[in-house]
Amino acid sequence: MQTIAGFDFPRQRHYDAASHFWACRDDESSRTSIGIDRLGLEALGELAYVALPDVGSRIERGDAMGTLEAAKMTTELVSPLSGVVVERNDLLLRDPSPVNSDPYGTGWLVTIEPTDWPGESAHLISGPALDEWVAAEVERYRAEGWID
Amino acid sequence: MNDQAWRLLLDDEVEAGFGLAADETLARRVGCGESPPTLRLYSYRSHCALVGRFQNVEQELHLDFCREHGIAVNRRPTGGGAIIMGADQLGVALTVPGRDRHAYGGARQLMERFSSGLRQALEGLGIDAAFRRKNDLEIEGRKIAGLGIYRDRSGGLLFHASLLVDLDVALMLQVLRIPFEKIADKDIASVASRTRTLRSILGADLPFDRVRGQVAEGYASAFDIALAPGEWSASEAEAIAALERSRYGTGEWVFQRTEVPDLLGASRVRTPGGLLEVRATLAGKLIKAVYLSGDFFAPEASVADLEGSLRWHSGDPAAIRATLAPVYARWGQCLEALPLETLVAAILQATRQAQPPAEPDTVPDPSSDPYGCFVTPGTQHA
Repeated sequence: MQTIAGFDFPRQRHYDAASHFWACRDDESSRTSIGIDRLGLEALGELAYVALPDVGSRIERGDAMGTLEAAKMTTELVSPLSGVVVERNDLLLRDPSPVNSDPYGTGWLVTIEPTDWPGESAHLISGPALDEWVAAEVERYRAEGWID
Repeated sequence: MNDQAWRLLLDDEVEAGFGLAADETLARRVGCGESPPTLRLYSYRSHCALVGRFQNVEQELHLDFCREHGIAVNRRPTGGGAIIMGADQLGVALTVPGRDRHAYGGARQLMERFSSGLRQALEGLGIDAAFRRKNDLEIEGRKIAGLGIYRDRSGGLLFHASLLVDLDVALMLQVLRIPFEKIADKDIASVASRTRTLRSILGADLPFDRVRGQVAEGYASAFDIALAPGEWSASEAEAIAALERSRYGTGEWVFQRTEVPDLLGASRVRTPGGLLEVRATLAGKLIKAVYLSGDFFAPEASVADLEGSLRWHSGDPAAIRATLAPVYARWGQCLEALPLETLVAAILQATRQAQPPAEPDTVPDPSSDPYGCFVTPGTQHA
């Protein structure tokens, strides 16, 4: 586990500052998994339901790719990347609890074939910038009352 | 006073599809800066039944009854349970731009103020109300309003509440499929007497518009903001009509199904104070509601407090215990006959044994036209 400011943020992932989604690219296949980061989940609470896009559907960065209902709110899932969905975590449709218990593992949402990884990943947070961003986000979430 | 003003929209006789499309459209447009922050106080045409975002319509509603009585059925963008809405239930929808935190703060802070606006409104009517877990507004332990948040991808936030000015309990029980129907039969007679509405407290002649005015004042005070009466703009009306056509007016939206199973479980245990029966409804691993009955002695309000604390709650034993402990601390000796650990064990037994309910007779064709309802499991208003 790689912890920053008390929250688990694995360093081999890229994070979307706006949606608190993560993206993890397989360099060999170029396919990229997408999920929700730990801080985003803290703001949502326990998930009750999730709706995900169909395999083969095209998603655009910043657009809704699904919906979820959690303890604290219902919200649209905003994609951090553009691409075509090649795999969907169907187990979550029946039991979304892995998203809360294992957000970077069995709680992944979809895998996509990105259409512009070089361009769009530049907008995501990764590498050395991660520490400062996570620390600032934790502070902001505390100030706004999302987390205790 | 804050130098910004919110638009105030008043709407009555609203059709279910239009009402829901209007709220979602406003959330998106306010988030994008295309519409001003808006407080909408409205009522639906009697009656409609609205299920929560992910509920299965046929599991929540008596669809044959709705069809026969012209009760519109639809699906909210917000979560939670099924409710009936009509001329005597005040819909409250506040839409604000969630990303402008300097002006409005975060969603959770907003929820507290949103709750505060409603509570101040009731105080103005002379009613002392309290919030439970920031989502249910209660009077003497009985729910009188349910609150929900929807966050649009634009960042726009929709805060939704339905306030019971009055309620046709008999109709509600015919529209909603009450869990444990056979067992619930013996309880139905007491539902009306246990339901709190503003008119049951303040008198049958309480004008709907007095409540609406008080709610507007409550929000103006809670947010320290002016309210400017307004109308839909032409572009808003166009966007609402488009969303109604593409979503809220379609069977694909109304009759969509979730794969998370609805489950029902029950247990019966002997306590120092007598027999305890626990009935639980679950959405997968999540507790939707628990119902406690038996011949043990405890004040009705304390039992309602226990039940209310577990609505839409994690099924994790430690989380259940952590939630119930403060309720026991609050009621002290009143719950002596019902030890905490005995209750936790009974709840866990009920949830572990939970099974899918019998399938309703009628499973609608998703391509069929929606015909109308807005709803929370009826027992939540009990």
